[in-house]
Amino acid sequence: MTSTIAKHQVLAPAALAAAILITAVNAPAQTNYAAEAAKNPGAASKRTPRMADGHPDLNGVWHHFFGIGTIEKVGESFVVGGAFSPKSSAVYSAPLNDPKPEYKPEFVAKVRSLYDDQVREDPGLHCMPPGVPRLGPPHQIVHTPKQAIFLYADSTGNQWRVIPLDGRPHGTDPETASTYNGDSVGRWDGDTLVVDVTRLTDETWLGDNGLFHSRKLHVTERLRRVGDTIQYQVTAEDPEVLQKPWTLSRTLTLQPDALEEAAPCVDKDAGHYVTLEHHDNTR
Amino acid sequence: MRATNRLLWALVAALSCALPMLAHHAFAAEFDAGKTVTLRGVVSKVDWINPHIFVYVDVKDDAGKTTTWALQSLPPLFFRGSGLTKDVLLSNKQEVTVTANPAKDGTRAYGFMTKLSYPDGHVFSMSPQDADPTLRSGQK
Repeated sequence: MTSTIAKHQVLAPAALAAAILITAVNAPAQTNYAAEAAKNPGAASKRTPRMADGHPDLNGVWHHFFGIGTIEKVGESFVVGGAFSPKSSAVYSAPLNDPKPEYKPEFVAKVRSLYDDQVREDPGLHCMPPGVPRLGPPHQIVHTPKQAIFLYADSTGNQWRVIPLDGRPHGTDPETASTYNGDSVGRWDGDTLVVDVTRLTDETWLGDNGLFHSRKLHVTERLRRVGDTIQYQVTAEDPEVLQKPWTLSRTLTLQPDALEEAAPCVDKDAGHYVTLEHHDNTR
Repeated sequence: MRATNRLLWALVAALSCALPMLAHHAFAAEFDAGKTVTLRGVVSKVDWINPHIFVYVDVKDDAGKTTTWALQSLPPLFFRGSGLTKDVLLSNKQEVTVTANPAKDGTRAYGFMTKLSYPDGHVFSMSPQDADPTLRSGQK
């Protein structure tokens, strides 16, 4: 067996490549929500199925995280597609128009510092669970009259939440530790499932880019099924660090394909970062 | 030199097309897109892990000494339903040609895989135009 290792040093093209990379780092977030909507045409105008108790039936696979990238078979070859193919990239750039959380003035510098150093500081980049609300909308919902189970195949690993729907209050045991996904209870407000989440650890961020929070974080999710879509809205309230509640909205579309188990997350990159370039992993 | 330049501009073209991929997971913080290495060897191991899979290639030098390159690739969630699996990558024992961007920190035998080519001509590539001629320059 022969081997060749050829190194090609670059001059002018290198400068251009570097410019492309810098542009890329500042590129707007890409997501696959619009691409998923395209897989189920007219989803919102379909009939809304209901459970025997009359509430909308939330069962189904609703989102695949990291779906911006696909691997496509062309002949016997495989190439990266989705957002990375000129043929299909536009649909992955549909803006979500997420607002930014407004921090109290005394915390703005801390957010900036975490933003600048997120290659090292971001727990999600190092395989720690993103937690609620950064985990995003549910990827699959298993819905029974008494509980809704949210499943997630996240890049940090598989996550699940069991949400009782029987009207029980939050647990009051003071010894119960705060957790990544918190203590969730659900109730119906008409056709909208409202999930109230407390006891969240402060080891997570609200989202990419240094958005830390305190133990006072309180999250409310609202899910309203319309045909084969779910209007998902999540509001984070943290009176300790935020000036006002922060709300994100997503439209989820019922997907035809199953949710696959996520591979385990193993951080092999941490020791290799030389510079601080970073990017979003919008969920 | 001219041939080298052609190769370099091809790299720039590939980068332009693969822009979003390169925005992913702080690529530029870790790998040097301005350099490429070409390796020939056999895929000996695959780690099917988040946030990116790793493909290991055993490369033998002229003295017969084997170096195993650890090559980062794409997130496993990208491969969902594609038919390209860990088993597919491992089952082909032919000598492959791999291009990769090496680590910026100088770690030996560590890089980001940009293309894996088999002797029969089929590839696993980060550049869509490698398998779809209609995506080549000016024919989008």
